[in-house]
Amino acid sequence: MASLTIDQLTKSFGAVEVLKGIDLDIEDGGFLVLVGPSGCGKSTLLNCIAGLEKTTSGEIRIGDRNVEGLHPSKRDIAMVFQSYALYPNMTVRGNISFGMEIRGVDKAEQEKAIQEVADILQIGNLLDRKPSQLSGGQRQRVAMGRALVRHPQVFLFDEPLSNLDAKLRVDMRTEIKRLHRRMGTTIVYVTHDQIEALTLATKIAVLEAGYLQQAGSPDEIYNDPSNMFVADFMGSPSMNLIDGLLLERDGGLEIEIEGYGDTKISLPAPDTAEMRGFVGKPIVFGIRPEAMTDPDGADRTSPQIETRDCFIEVSQPAGSDTFALTPLGGKECIARLRADARIELGAFAPISFNMTKAVFFDPSTTNRIR
Amino acid sequence: MSIPSQDNAINAGSLTRILIYTLLIFFVIYYLLPLWVMVSNSLKTLDEIRGGDMLAPPKDITFEPWRQAWSQTQIGVEATGLKPYFFNSIIMVVPAVFLSTFLGALNGYVMTKWEFPGVNLIFGLMLLACFIPFQIVLIPMARILGMLGLAGTLGGLIMVHTVYGLGFTTLFFRNYYAAFPTELVRAAQIDGASFFQVFWRILIPSSGPIIVVTIIWQFTNVWNDFLFGASFSSYDSTPITVALNNLVNSSTGVKEYNVHFAGAILTALPTLIVYIVSGRYFVRGLMAGAVKG
Ligand SMILES: Nc1ncnc2c1ncn2[C@@H]1O[C@H](COP(=O)(O)OP(=O)(O)OP(=O)(O)O)[C@@H](O)[C@H]1O
Ligand SMILES: [Mg+2]
Repeated sequence: MASLTIDQLTKSFGAVEVLKGIDLDIEDGGFLVLVGPSGCGKSTLLNCIAGLEKTTSGEIRIGDRNVEGLHPSKRDIAMVFQSYALYPNMTVRGNISFGMEIRGVDKAEQEKAIQEVADILQIGNLLDRKPSQLSGGQRQRVAMGRALVRHPQVFLFDEPLSNLDAKLRVDMRTEIKRLHRRMGTTIVYVTHDQIEALTLATKIAVLEAGYLQQAGSPDEIYNDPSNMFVADFMGSPSMNLIDGLLLERDGGLEIEIEGYGDTKISLPAPDTAEMRGFVGKPIVFGIRPEAMTDPDGADRTSPQIETRDCFIEVSQPAGSDTFALTPLGGKECIARLRADARIELGAFAPISFNMTKAVFFDPSTTNRIR
Repeated sequence: MSIPSQDNAINAGSLTRILIYTLLIFFVIYYLLPLWVMVSNSLKTLDEIRGGDMLAPPKDITFEPWRQAWSQTQIGVEATGLKPYFFNSIIMVVPAVFLSTFLGALNGYVMTKWEFPGVNLIFGLMLLACFIPFQIVLIPMARILGMLGLAGTLGGLIMVHTVYGLGFTTLFFRNYYAAFPTELVRAAQIDGASFFQVFWRILIPSSGPIIVVTIIWQFTNVWNDFLFGASFSSYDSTPITVALNNLVNSSTGVKEYNVHFAGAILTALPTLIVYIVSGRYFVRGLMAGAVKG
């Protein structure tokens, strides 16, 4: 087991720079999830860690060993690919033992190791089948088995669950989490799925266009985003980013937001030195749908609940909750109401804003104002 | 993979059906007629051929022309039949086919999975090799064979056919491996497999169809080649195609048509057998890139 440190990593394909100086680390036994829009360089970063792509500059350390120039098989890593990449001509047993065979592990020991992972993943009855005779979920397990049997320092997963159906994905997610707890091996995991990221990670890194936007615990990423990209990217439905104007009134700060038609609402804003610099200027007010509720559904432990009348245009019942759309700052914003909240469409209704969860951004740089 | 029954896909009337079968039977006869002429006449005596109808079946079957063609008839200066030349061809074809197939597979592997700068240029140049007419390379090739001391030997012919076949075999394998998932190669690398281990253990076992296609293609081309055989062989390294030509075109004595027919069939037999044995793989292999299985 080992930690992983990435230092000023850049990677170019010809003239195209795909990774533009990534600094990232994960502690021994941590679970690092890389998220970001398609094409942002997640797989490339993973391949650089694995040694499948040569880095252009910067350093990658596994434990305290600089792995620069080291062959993938010497880095003490194991990788699970999105397509599983099971060798089609070998049985499940052959797939799992191939690496050991290449390394010259003796037969008896190979068999013992195979039985061990087969027990963990419950694939004992599949050992003599070919990959083409397995279901998607079973292939997934075999791919994990092939990685597990190496007992690596670091596991690398590239969207391992994206080919599975929704139900199986949830099951496998739980299983991966359980495996991680059991083995305690460091994991780097790429995904598109927000929920996967938030449930599995001990640390999330959000990438965009080759830059690391923010790295932190799931809670930090979710509740304390450092810029508008991260705020918008994480969470589903995503955070409401509302244009408003910061004003000083009665010695305190207030944000004024356009509502329906000519109506306006204002909400108190935290009075910090940095915020004061934006008085009289446009500012972006970010609030998650679950912090905009009907008054009865508001978080009673929050010290700062502000209730305002908002115009409800559309409501979308979603089983456990009802999402209501209301125009604020010229955009449709989503409020998350209790399922049995009584709301009338096309009329004003009181909405409670949990201001302890509110965040503010500078619209010109998109960075957070604290 | 199973396919649902096609029986009820199109409800053709019985008239259409009769029409289709008539047409098919006509074409079968049309294509089989030359074979029939060759086989039946190779079993007739010379007198019967002279006196009779080409299409008629033999009256009393004789295998003498076959024996003659195989081991007794005069070819060039010696009366050896086609036998020694047949074995010359075998000795030439087998190594040439295996070498060019193996090197083509290796080229395809390197060009798709170990891309290097300029790989497309090199591939383009190799493609060009598929389209260069044979005649253009004759003189330079003769020079090179001379310099290597391989002129007039079977070794020289093997080299010529290997080099000339490389364009096609590389094209076949490159296109096949381009569709082969690179992730598999990467997984094997992480498992510690070396360059050749990946090739032998991962790629080759999945290359069955394309290997069959390449072998059939190369076998028929090399076996049927006349120009290189005529240009680069000497009396003890003459392939069977050239010997057949010498047999048929010999100007001395009477023309023994029945022996010629038997010799022609003997010459064509190996390629026929290869097609019959592995023809279905050929079609399957040609389709392999088209549909992901
Ligand atoms: N071999 C290559 N040559 C040139 N550009 C490449 C190569 N591989 C990837 N890229 C480019 O690098 C960028 C990042 O690719 P990468 O595969 O890392 O994206 P990703 O974040 O994994 O996307 P996805 O979520 O869709 O898998 C893309 O813009 C891609 O076009
Ligand atoms: Mg990817």
